Amino acid sequence: MLASLTHPRLWLALALLAAGIGLSVVAWNGPDGAMLVPRVVLAIWCAMALSLVIVEALRRAPPLKPSLSPLPLLMGAVLVAAVTVDTLGFLLPALVLVALTLWLFRVRRPLPLLVGTVLIGGGLWFLFHHVLLIRLPAMMNSGVI
Amino acid sequence: MDVILAAAGDAFTWQALLAIVIGTWAGIVIGGLPGLGSVVGLTIFLPFTFGLDVITSMALLIGVYCGSVYGGSITAILINTPGTPQSAATTFDGYPMTQQGRVDEALGWATFASFFGGVLSCVLLIFCAPQLAKFAVNFGSIEVFALVCLAMLCIVGISRGSLLKGLLCGMMGFFFSMVGSDPITGADRFTFGTQALSSGLDLIPVVVGAFALSEIFVRFSARDEEATVIPEARLRFPPLGEIGRRLIELMRGSFIGSFVGALPGTGAAAAAFISYATAQKLSPRRAQLGKGEPDGIIASESSNNAVTGSAFIPTLALGIPGDVVTAMMMGAMVIHGITPGVRLMADQAQTVYALFVVLIIVNVVMLILSKPSIGLFRYLFKLPLGFVMAGIVMFSFIGAASVRGNPLDLVVAALTGILAYALRRGGYPLAPLVIGMVLGPALESSLRRGLLISRGDFLSFFTHSGIATTLFVLIGLFLVWTLWSSFMQWRAKLARRRQTSTRVIE
Repeated sequence: MLASLTHPRLWLALALLAAGIGLSVVAWNGPDGAMLVPRVVLAIWCAMALSLVIVEALRRAPPLKPSLSPLPLLMGAVLVAAVTVDTLGFLLPALVLVALTLWLFRVRRPLPLLVGTVLIGGGLWFLFHHVLLIRLPAMMNSGVI
Repeated sequence: MDVILAAAGDAFTWQALLAIVIGTWAGIVIGGLPGLGSVVGLTIFLPFTFGLDVITSMALLIGVYCGSVYGGSITAILINTPGTPQSAATTFDGYPMTQQGRVDEALGWATFASFFGGVLSCVLLIFCAPQLAKFAVNFGSIEVFALVCLAMLCIVGISRGSLLKGLLCGMMGFFFSMVGSDPITGADRFTFGTQALSSGLDLIPVVVGAFALSEIFVRFSARDEEATVIPEARLRFPPLGEIGRRLIELMRGSFIGSFVGALPGTGAAAAAFISYATAQKLSPRRAQLGKGEPDGIIASESSNNAVTGSAFIPTLALGIPGDVVTAMMMGAMVIHGITPGVRLMADQAQTVYALFVVLIIVNVVMLILSKPSIGLFRYLFKLPLGFVMAGIVMFSFIGAASVRGNPLDLVVAALTGILAYALRRGGYPLAPLVIGMVLGPALESSLRRGLLISRGDFLSFFTHSGIATTLFVLIGLFLVWTLWSSFMQWRAKLARRRQTSTRVIE
């Protein structure tokens, strides 16, 4: 039972329930006409999430081994890169993200890391932004990078 | 007839043909790399289409789609690892044939059956889509509401994972579609005072996050697994006499795939397993199935490729995508000015027929490109995973950033990627989330218009018309069936548990 209560599946169901309740509060405080369907949808969301919380709490889940994976680092890097594109433009965050992805996926010798970063990060940016003229966010309006 | 000739003219331009060749070849390669399925393939190629015209763009994407469904079978046969879930049933007989030294024959059957299924479903699409579109003109707001509910229920009921999880993901998808300005009153919903959220969430960044970015996170968790060695293989097409002897199996698999593909929510994986199960009952060589019998490969491959054509029937005629891939194709069509739905066949008949012609050409090109592609897999599997993943990160970012030019789309993709990873780990199916997002606007507008028509009386929806009543009855029957089968599964599980505990006590 204790193992079930600490299992990530239960925490995920709880998080989804909390999100559903929070959004329902916003929906019920909004205008009646516009929020009619979202209220119904969120009510079903909350009912399903609550049922899942009960199911996951009652389930005999096998205990998970704690591990120190660098996955949150990769997730954080993707998120930070996505947020900073608006201010730094596309190229710089993309280069850093590509280099970090290669490094985390164990491409660690300097030459392949550098060539991979320049070709995948810089090369694809150049192809889309300058050759195909599919404009990606730039650091300055109409700027080269 | 003039429309068809004009459509053929649109499809036979050098740009469209080049797009088909590149898309199909890349699709075969992407589909063959385990884990990277059709959706990741479409994510990679979507940004390339922004500067292209409608037919060339769709030719590229259809090529990637059909190629990836076929490509999944190559690694299923060579290393017993299906590149895509659609090809899982191909491993049952494909890999035993490889172990018996019949790899060339297995690849030949997989290629020919894929081609056969793909072309037959295109022919069915050409005949069925216009008929369905003519019938769909009778659909008003209430009928559309009932249809969307039925489609969503089918998708939730058939998706992997529990019904509760599927429904919750479906509701999340509906919710995502409701962020932004209300289409009827114009009031802001769930924008939290942010101007960037007023235009709502776009489908493409959500799909990019849910499938491409979450795949990178999943692959990162399993990066310590050993690299696979690919055996030497060539492709040998089956002789004509052998094809004639197995023609019934080819036809049966193709028809099953075409029928299953036209139903919302089923997709190619379900079609392949249903077709394989049918072959186990009806094939004259059924005793050999599972031990390296070409009928098993034919059943799986002809049906999963037949889905590629027939899945377009509800997508184009009703605006209801059958699975995640067609949902994404629908998103791409909207970007290029094609709005799938009841009016499409009437308003843009030439474009639709051009897409049909493209589908047929893609299948022919797939047959031609299969031979040179197979040799390539030996080298592809030597490529370090990091380069492939870094490439997918870049394409995902480019795809999300260039759809609308809204910087928030990248943040949405990143957040969806993290959420989707957690959902995948928790055993939640992602297909209802994406399809919920596609169907959300239709559900909301049809419900609200329906309520205006019926003056707020929801109960009158059930008796509004014969079509509406039939659809609501089908919803009821499907609900009963889903609940009944869930109950039976739960009972069987309980019985198994009791049996195990009795054995332990003994």
